[in-house]
Amino acid sequence: MRRSEEKLSLSWLLRHPLVATCILLALTIALPYLRVGERLKLMTFLPLARASADVEQTPYEELEDEQKVRVDLALERERVSNLETENARLRAALSQLDALAQAAPGFAEAPLPAAVNARVIFRGDASTWRHCCWINRGRQQGVEEGMPVVAGRSLVGRVFMVGDGHACVQLLTDPGFLASCLIVDPDDPAIDPAARVRAVLRGDGSAMPHFPRLELEDVPAGAPVKAGMHVVTNDYSGQFPAGLAVGVVRETIPQAGFLQVRIEANLDLLTLEVVQVLMHKRPELEKEALALLKRKK
Amino acid sequence: MNLAARVAFTRSRQVRWRGRIVIGGGVVLAVVHAALLHRLKLEDFTPDLYTVAALFLGLFASRHGRYGPSLVFGLIRDFFSLGLLGSYAVLYSLLHKVAGRAREKLDPERPGNVFVMAVIGTFLVNFGYHVMLAVGGDGVGWSRAITRCASTAIATGPLAVLLFPIAHFMLEKLGAKRSGGFWNI
Repeated sequence: MRRSEEKLSLSWLLRHPLVATCILLALTIALPYLRVGERLKLMTFLPLARASADVEQTPYEELEDEQKVRVDLALERERVSNLETENARLRAALSQLDALAQAAPGFAEAPLPAAVNARVIFRGDASTWRHCCWINRGRQQGVEEGMPVVAGRSLVGRVFMVGDGHACVQLLTDPGFLASCLIVDPDDPAIDPAARVRAVLRGDGSAMPHFPRLELEDVPAGAPVKAGMHVVTNDYSGQFPAGLAVGVVRETIPQAGFLQVRIEANLDLLTLEVVQVLMHKRPELEKEALALLKRKK
Repeated sequence: MNLAARVAFTRSRQVRWRGRIVIGGGVVLAVVHAALLHRLKLEDFTPDLYTVAALFLGLFASRHGRYGPSLVFGLIRDFFSLGLLGSYAVLYSLLHKVAGRAREKLDPERPGNVFVMAVIGTFLVNFGYHVMLAVGGDGVGWSRAITRCASTAIATGPLAVLLFPIAHFMLEKLGAKRSGGFWNI
């Protein structure tokens, strides 16, 4: 058969893997809502998680006394560990609440949604450009894609992919991370809320350790921003609840039309061990608007 | 030639260790990149070991199988990363093709040439990755990206000069055969 007569079929694609990969890549970029790449990646993790869940266990009643004691001890240890985690979370939240209460009393009073505690089981990404971590909580515990992840009251990132018992968290330093933020002056907390400076937080993907390399975008030139001001999340997009602490402004560099604002994050992501997934969902109205946009495209 | 001799002849020409080197090496390097390298706190000068290995495959592995091993190698890195699935696979396939051409012009046995090829290869792979980030709307700015790609490439070049002889030594210890400058892997 001559080359020009070859038809584009599955067997042809299998013989030309580079073309198949390019098509997959183009699909992922052009139709991000399908999340083709993420689904394929999760396929490698889900069987592992399921295999660990499918291990047959002897019913408790059939165990010998010694084995029952061991099981009870393990359960008790797990309970103590959960309580310690919860305690650490509450302490961290309390200390951050105190700091935030001085900077912006209104935000500190805003209640946070219910949270699921999770342990960071793996930190890092094979690409030096991307930043993520894996946590030991997933769909079974009610975790969903897009939920905010915090440590105490400080923003860590958002859930990017979810398996049954695991989830991948996109850290706030990842270049794909965006969050609507407000810049709050601790010296003048009583400022009119409408006059507060709004900005977009975007991770710059620098190799770790990347602090203080967080930057705020879309800050107009001449905005009253100075070093020492606090940055908190804004609920403008519905993605994150208002009042999650992000960091402190360290430097402002005037540029053409905009102000480059460099901030130092509250958390060191390299040492993070326990986080909380907030059971916060984007409002349905937003989802409907996105669906409408998709239909229009 | 009888059947047994023909089978033996065919086997002797088949590549050895390829699957184990590509999959095992890919997974090990992905874990090293994800879990260890960032602990060195080298910031933008973090070396790209994965690209060094991909370049080694492109320069010294048997050309039998064309860009397939590089594509699989890249896919493994993609599976361990948050980025677009297939981005490193495409970049390493292209690196394989470029390395084939570069080999005709520069002798890869000379350390100076290895340094030049590693610097250019690492820069191109990282820049290509940033192009894909930018196409997906996640770019970090071109001047920042170029600075970062250059620092990574500068950190990777000397390391490639050190690592290539070690890789040759290990392949020799494994018993892999070499002909015409290519390892039968």
